[in-house]
Amino acid sequence: MLSRDGIAGLACLGGSLWFLALTRGLPHPALVPVGPAFYPRILLTITALLSAALVVSDLVRRRGAARPAPVRYGFVLLTFAIFGVYVALLPSLGYRVATFLFVGGLQATLERPRGRRWGLVLAVALVTTLATYYVFEGYLSVLLPRGRLSGF
Amino acid sequence: MFASLFGSLGDVLHLQYLIPLTIGTLAGLIGGALPGVTITMTIIIVLPFTFGLDPLAGLAAMVGVYVGGESGGLVTASLIGIPGTPSAVATTFDGFPMARRGEPGRAVWLGTWASFIGGLLGAFFLILTTEPLARFALRFGPWEYFSLFIFALAMVAGLTERSLLKGFLSGALGLIVTVIGADPIMAVPRLTMGSEFLRGGFQFLPVLIGIFAFAQIMTDLEHMARGRPQVQVQTSSLAVSHLAVIWEILSRPFLLLWSTLIGLWIGVLPAIGGSAANVMAYDQAKKFSKHPEKFGTGIPEGIIAAEASNNANVAGSLVTIMAFGIPGDAVTAVMLGAMIIHGIQPGPLFIVQEPRLAYGIFAAYLLAHPIMIVLQWLLAHVYLRIVQVSKAILIPLILVLCVIGAYALNNTMDNVYALLLFGVIGYLFVKFGFPLAPFILGVILGDQIEINLVRAIMTDADPWLFITRPISGVMLGLSVLSVALALWQHRRTEARLAESAEPDVDF
Repeated sequence: MLSRDGIAGLACLGGSLWFLALTRGLPHPALVPVGPAFYPRILLTITALLSAALVVSDLVRRRGAARPAPVRYGFVLLTFAIFGVYVALLPSLGYRVATFLFVGGLQATLERPRGRRWGLVLAVALVTTLATYYVFEGYLSVLLPRGRLSGF
Repeated sequence: MFASLFGSLGDVLHLQYLIPLTIGTLAGLIGGALPGVTITMTIIIVLPFTFGLDPLAGLAAMVGVYVGGESGGLVTASLIGIPGTPSAVATTFDGFPMARRGEPGRAVWLGTWASFIGGLLGAFFLILTTEPLARFALRFGPWEYFSLFIFALAMVAGLTERSLLKGFLSGALGLIVTVIGADPIMAVPRLTMGSEFLRGGFQFLPVLIGIFAFAQIMTDLEHMARGRPQVQVQTSSLAVSHLAVIWEILSRPFLLLWSTLIGLWIGVLPAIGGSAANVMAYDQAKKFSKHPEKFGTGIPEGIIAAEASNNANVAGSLVTIMAFGIPGDAVTAVMLGAMIIHGIQPGPLFIVQEPRLAYGIFAAYLLAHPIMIVLQWLLAHVYLRIVQVSKAILIPLILVLCVIGAYALNNTMDNVYALLLFGVIGYLFVKFGFPLAPFILGVILGDQIEINLVRAIMTDADPWLFITRPISGVMLGLSVLSVALALWQHRRTEARLAESAEPDVDF
């Protein structure tokens, strides 16, 4: 049975072999001694060998019965999901709307507000959005995304 | 050299540069004081604010963050026993017992003044060695550069404590990231699978921000409890006789110099960082001490060694980046990205072609230290209260700044998608126990490794030149030696690591 190392090694081995196969389609120029496939092939071969070595070392290693500390993966997945939705909505809603929703939503997820704390959550979301917008657009000349749907 | 330095000191004293430097130092002090927010994270947060600035102003802000961050960590380390940054870990050992004994001001100011003196001693090294080293590096051809970069990568991968194989694999994966997209010689798209998103390749800054920010934030979230943070800040007086504290430090010249040298040396070596300098200097101070049994009870030697070394480490890291274009640690990796954004190519030509900027960085580094002292004196109590801000507020803000940092590079959402993609990859790296430093160094050096390899072969197809050219041969020899040493050391530590099976995050 493979542990984390073995699984990671297999994933890297599969990925590097897949990429190695892709290099076969790259052209080989006649005028220069090395083409665009030269360096990737060396690199991917080394990566494949290291990955295979990781799988083998995982198979031969004796394992202890250590149990990892309990972690809140749900929290992490939820944060990734909220961030993913934010990134997906940015081009449609624009920086100001999407950021306000993201900051408010993520705050409420990380620390569930009750009663008057909702006011704080909304205030932080509003201040963060407006402050970053005006500092970057107004002072630092960094243009932030405009929304296709919202129009600003 | 000194004429250029004094000229640059005058330049940086102009408000145009002094304000970003001061704000950067303050941001560094606050970021450094916040447990869970590293200096790398603070630099990532500050980076987008520098995009619209003059290059020297932007870099002065970055240098300020770096210097401030190394010192900010000591405040929380001493007053609440939690190191604000990994580079203040050893400061906790004696700083916290001293503060608990009723001398919080002495603990904080011993660390602050030791940081100041260690940093200034480091500045001499930075100013005196960068130009000669850069001039030496000008003799390098593509063979030497290739071998130098391989040496840096071998060292970093070899320093991975938990698994040497994973260290090398991580470095190789970083190099693969740079292969995706157009090849540097003929611009042929490689490994893109027909995707327009992959066709342009990945810019290294979104990759770096994604990897570091998410690896850290998500790891924090795994153990975050709902509700307010439990940190209780002691607000007792930090008043102290500064002359007495400075005398306490200067009366231990050997300790001060030795710790500074350790910090510098660790800084010069690629990607080891201030945390190793801090712990190693503390360990050395204990070994050389006449009363090692007193270490850990709140003695000044422990604080002085730990803090002098981590600020000197900054100077060492700056030497490597400015003379060779190799980041000394994760913080300088982001700084290297910032330099590229401002149109500067770090490396041996930098100090020759851009002396105003190079000496401006030296001047900013020198001036950041007195600024740090003044800010520490004025605001230590104020920014210490920021430690109590809930992570539920900080994390969304940090993520928004990461998005701006990635987007603002060239106003394209592709960089934000790359940020998300590498955020997921960074978290997976942590979960599967892969070290981040070799990966990042691979991403940074990948293009240069390929370009120099191809250039060398196009100049002369004889592969033996990599070994027979003296500097290149020595670099490759050192690479082999560092791998062999790492293997030997890894075997020794494997038994010890087997005992502690709990997964560890290796940033």
